[in-house]
Amino acid sequence: MSHSLLALVVALPLLAAFLPPLLPGAIRRLLGPLALLLVAALGVYLWRITLIEPVSLALGDFRPPLGVVFYVDSVAALFVLAVALVTLLLWPWRGDTSENLDRKQSLTLVLAAACGGLAVSGDLFNVYVFYELAAVAGYGLAAGGGTAAARVATFRYLILGSLGSLLALLGITLIYFRAGTLNLAHLADLAPQTLHDPFGLAAFFLILLGLGVKAELFLVNTWAPEIYATAEARVSALLAGLVSKLALLVLARLLVLVFPLPEARGALLILGMLGMLTGEFAAFRARDIKRMLAWSSIGQLGAAFIAFSIPGSLGLAAGLAIALHHLLVKPALFLLAERWGGGLARLAGAARRSPFGAALFALFALSLIGVPPLPGFWAKYLLLSGLAAQPDNLYLLAGLVVLVTTVVEAVYLFRVIGMLHGRDAAHSEKPQNMALDMTLPASTLAGSGAFAALLLAVALAAPWLTAPLARMALQMNDSAAYVARVLPATATSEATK
Amino acid sequence: MSEFALLTLLIGALGLVALGIGGLVLSRNLFRVVLALALAEAGANLLLVLVGFRQSAWGAIAPIIESGRDAASLTPSMVDPIPQALVLTAIVIGVGVQALALSLAIRAYGAYGTLDMNALRARMETDIDSAAGTQPARCQHAPAGGRPLPPISAGARRADTPGTPA
Repeated sequence: MSHSLLALVVALPLLAAFLPPLLPGAIRRLLGPLALLLVAALGVYLWRITLIEPVSLALGDFRPPLGVVFYVDSVAALFVLAVALVTLLLWPWRGDTSENLDRKQSLTLVLAAACGGLAVSGDLFNVYVFYELAAVAGYGLAAGGGTAAARVATFRYLILGSLGSLLALLGITLIYFRAGTLNLAHLADLAPQTLHDPFGLAAFFLILLGLGVKAELFLVNTWAPEIYATAEARVSALLAGLVSKLALLVLARLLVLVFPLPEARGALLILGMLGMLTGEFAAFRARDIKRMLAWSSIGQLGAAFIAFSIPGSLGLAAGLAIALHHLLVKPALFLLAERWGGGLARLAGAARRSPFGAALFALFALSLIGVPPLPGFWAKYLLLSGLAAQPDNLYLLAGLVVLVTTVVEAVYLFRVIGMLHGRDAAHSEKPQNMALDMTLPASTLAGSGAFAALLLAVALAAPWLTAPLARMALQMNDSAAYVARVLPATATSEATK
Repeated sequence: MSEFALLTLLIGALGLVALGIGGLVLSRNLFRVVLALALAEAGANLLLVLVGFRQSAWGAIAPIIESGRDAASLTPSMVDPIPQALVLTAIVIGVGVQALALSLAIRAYGAYGTLDMNALRARMETDIDSAAGTQPARCQHAPAGGRPLPPISAGARRADTPGTPA
């Protein structure tokens, strides 16, 4: 069985990003969606085969640990599928000018390629390169909002992002200094002798802070409200939905394979708790929808960090559930906020103008809070039961934080729902508000309707999804299998010893 | 290269990183921020190259196989070439990001007429608030609706200070 198909995950979107200038107009517009559809099909195919057994590919046939290696287990395959699907749903079909549209589509495809690369990369330096690629595409898309405020926000984001990459690069340098390799499987093999000491932990913390910038980790997430308030809704949805999850996935993989240490888990747990508290309380105080969603996404990612800090495959299952749930819900909410972006008071009576939009908002809000039949409940249930099973008191404290912030979350989301269905008080008092059209366009409704359909499908299929989820978490937690798959020679030589 | 020279370079690289991060945090001028970023990245890149020197080979030579030399006999005395390949990538990425940062700084200057980070941030916050139709967030330094408590007069404050007899 040949696995050279794996390279297409990165190659197809990159080709589609840079070929269009050479092609005539009609094909040019179709190339991007076509490439993403192919990647999505590839993701489904990979997910089916990797549920049985993970696959890997040594690029250029340079055997690891020398060459660059791609590794796909069922988690990575699912993320490849999610990257392609979400990018397709958030595809920029319209632009101000043809040239502007070309740029937007190219950058979106570069972002998709980089996210796919982050999911399948089995090499720390490759992770750094794909991370930078995603970052630069993200800066371009965020500045594409066109307003002066968007440019200032992007500059501030770029500086923080570059500081993050710098810290990550320093961490990678330290790891290379100690272990002499950057291949994740080789590192997993060598880590107990070379990296499980304060020096290695320092490297992990540097990488955690560095990649944490994109994953909206506490301390390095100040960019999020500024960017999400100024960028286009589609861009916010891509950054909050996709890029943050891929950074999170890389950190979780590093934690499982190379640094399965209590200190590393503790750092994740404490930063996640702080992120959850600050994010949800700031969202409670926010006065406009976009920044409220930005802060709430910081809180949700804090919950994912808490989940990944739980040792064993239970924690990974909870983290994956929370990350995937957020991946479905937050982009749809940002899409709805495109037209409803203003202050909360402006929303009064908007439900009468687009009842379907208000119903969608209510559905996503209920799932985000964790109301039972919806997937958000199962994600939070997995997280809380995982936390409760830990003997350490810090984990119980984290469970308390999750419960308290859930109440806060419910208050601010229900406030918006109440506002949507409220009387048109603001409109009758201030006639100038009538100029603002609160009716959602059909394209927005179609986009977030598709996310809602996916969410409901997951809710209906929940009883059949627990087994694959547990299997994925087990596979991700199995670092011995990772090493054996990527470095067959080392594994056999150790077996014969 | 002698061990002393290597040590000097190592301290220099870490110093560059520290200077750069310090500048990044403390500077207010956008151009200085970009310069500080360039400094810090130079330090990190230098550190990455220095990692290629292994303890067994302080006097290592460049990893280039010339004609007339046997590759196998040279290998132990060569610098590890992988960090050098990595640093090329890192340098290219750094240059691209710095160019992007400068172009954004120029656009921001064109729109707001200032390069001061705090002023730009305040203008951006005002723009975001006016676009959303919300009041700017209140803070203790500049409360929008007045202070909840009247300010303490100078005389009362002096009387409260511990250590001074009432």
